Amino acid sequence: MPLLEIRGLEKHFLGVTAVDRVDLDVEAGELVSLIGPNGSGKTTLFNCVTGYLAADAGAVRFRGRDVTNAPPHRVARLGIGRTFQQVSVFPRLTALENLLVFLQQHQEERLLARLVRARAVRRLEAEAVERAHRLLDLVGLRAKADAPAGSLSYGQRKLLAFAAALMPDPELLLLDEPAAAVNPTMINQMKEHILALHRQGKTVLLVEHNMDVVMDISRRIVVLDHGQKIAEGPPEAIRRDPRVIEAYFGR
Amino acid sequence: MRRAAWLALGAACFAAPWLVAAVVPGQQRYVLHVLIFTALFAALALSYDLVVGHVGSLSLAHPAFFGTGAYTAAILSTGAGWPFVADVAAAVAAAAVVAAVVGVPLFRLTEHAFAVGTLGLGLVAWIVANNWVEVTRGPLCITGIPKPRLGLPGGPALAVTTLPAHYWLALAALVAVVLLYRGLTTFRLGRAFHAVRDNEPLAGAAGIDPLKYRMLAFTIAAGLAGGVGALYVHYLSVMCPEEMTIALTVNLLVIVFLGGAGSLRGVLLGAVLFTALPEVLRLAPTWRLVIYGGLLLVVVVRSPGGLEGLLRRAPGAAR
Repeated sequence: MPLLEIRGLEKHFLGVTAVDRVDLDVEAGELVSLIGPNGSGKTTLFNCVTGYLAADAGAVRFRGRDVTNAPPHRVARLGIGRTFQQVSVFPRLTALENLLVFLQQHQEERLLARLVRARAVRRLEAEAVERAHRLLDLVGLRAKADAPAGSLSYGQRKLLAFAAALMPDPELLLLDEPAAAVNPTMINQMKEHILALHRQGKTVLLVEHNMDVVMDISRRIVVLDHGQKIAEGPPEAIRRDPRVIEAYFGR
Repeated sequence: MRRAAWLALGAACFAAPWLVAAVVPGQQRYVLHVLIFTALFAALALSYDLVVGHVGSLSLAHPAFFGTGAYTAAILSTGAGWPFVADVAAAVAAAAVVAAVVGVPLFRLTEHAFAVGTLGLGLVAWIVANNWVEVTRGPLCITGIPKPRLGLPGGPALAVTTLPAHYWLALAALVAVVLLYRGLTTFRLGRAFHAVRDNEPLAGAAGIDPLKYRMLAFTIAAGLAGGVGALYVHYLSVMCPEEMTIALTVNLLVIVFLGGAGSLRGVLLGAVLFTALPEVLRLAPTWRLVIYGGLLLVVVVRSPGGLEGLLRRAPGAAR
């Protein structure tokens, strides 16, 4: 059974078909890239899977469980993490708090325990702080732990958002253009982080425009054009696929 | 050091009736009256700040909840003869229930529409208070609301009749609201509230249900406003529809935004300044409103973050 199953997914905006009957399976442990020209429906597909947009038809299953049109917070708690194309952090929380807030919802639910800061809650908090510091180390932001996220540079915020998505240790991670608009050093860093996740056995679905990154790290590539899946396969095959070449460069 | 400062402030607040008697012997009654209003307004402003400052929803409906609590207490204590403690509890519950019922449809509206929707709720509440004469007596006001009696029915009770006693009761209510405010707006709950305020879509990706946290803040804030409303009418012993007009919203907006939205210290400071200041300015009656308006403008222009923002930027400011 695939970890993520997308079946016949459709999304229309005012008569424009953004996602057109897309089927896509992602097996546990895979690293899959989703590519396609601008406006081909990649981000829309992400948003439908994670509950930010309601699909008009089709189904999404995660670990065999139907999550079609479940709200974002439920999708997140089931174990699907995601990042956003536009850098997305909580600007008035510190870098550390940005990470903590991503784990706490997965830890406990009782409001009263939180209000009175029960011993169990304080212990969970201590664990979260420890994990957050490890992740800040990983992305090289330890020194910024107490700085408001809004004061960080663009690249730093991008790394912070990535680290935040890792906080609850999601089984499936959807990354929307992690290498866009950052400098070459950081692109390489990002690549290494993604490969490290893959080696740890995490499942990653990636939307990316940077072909070097995509060709370099993906084992399988899915190509969308005008909302339709036009090709799927290993990088070498995709590179030579005439439909893909046509979609990107025209006839 | 900070703890010592808070303790000293607390002691000064507690001793205020004696301090006032020593400093301005002839004006005690008037000064205490202003202090009672300040404490009640501070509590009300803190409850309001839970919504506008911490989950970032610009609600203009706070007078409706204040009024719901005030009328609940007024009606139950005069018509039905409920004891003080019970009618205050009922006031808190009634306001919270109203918020819970109207909150879900209101929060379906986005930012500006939400503000307009809550403004509508505030107006409707005021119109009901004015026109449902059988229950609220409309513009004739509910009068003869008894003074608070702390204690259980049948048992010994402590009657709150003197001004210092009213002041301590208001101060106790303020302390309770401050503690609840602190508990809600720091640590994990506060972080979740602030995540919803800062970036709602991202909060969803973090597993936070924005509606749930907005409703939580909105309902608790309404309950607290209802409780303050109850204390307010037990102090004044009269409740009129004019107490819940848009003017109250404007006052709260001034206190919260010029004090510093989302900051306990800022809102408390705002409440003290913007409740006490207009009174102090009575010394110059002709220019009172001009000076007040001028000061508001200065704060807005010089510090968009309110007084709290000024404090933070002050040289050598301790955070």
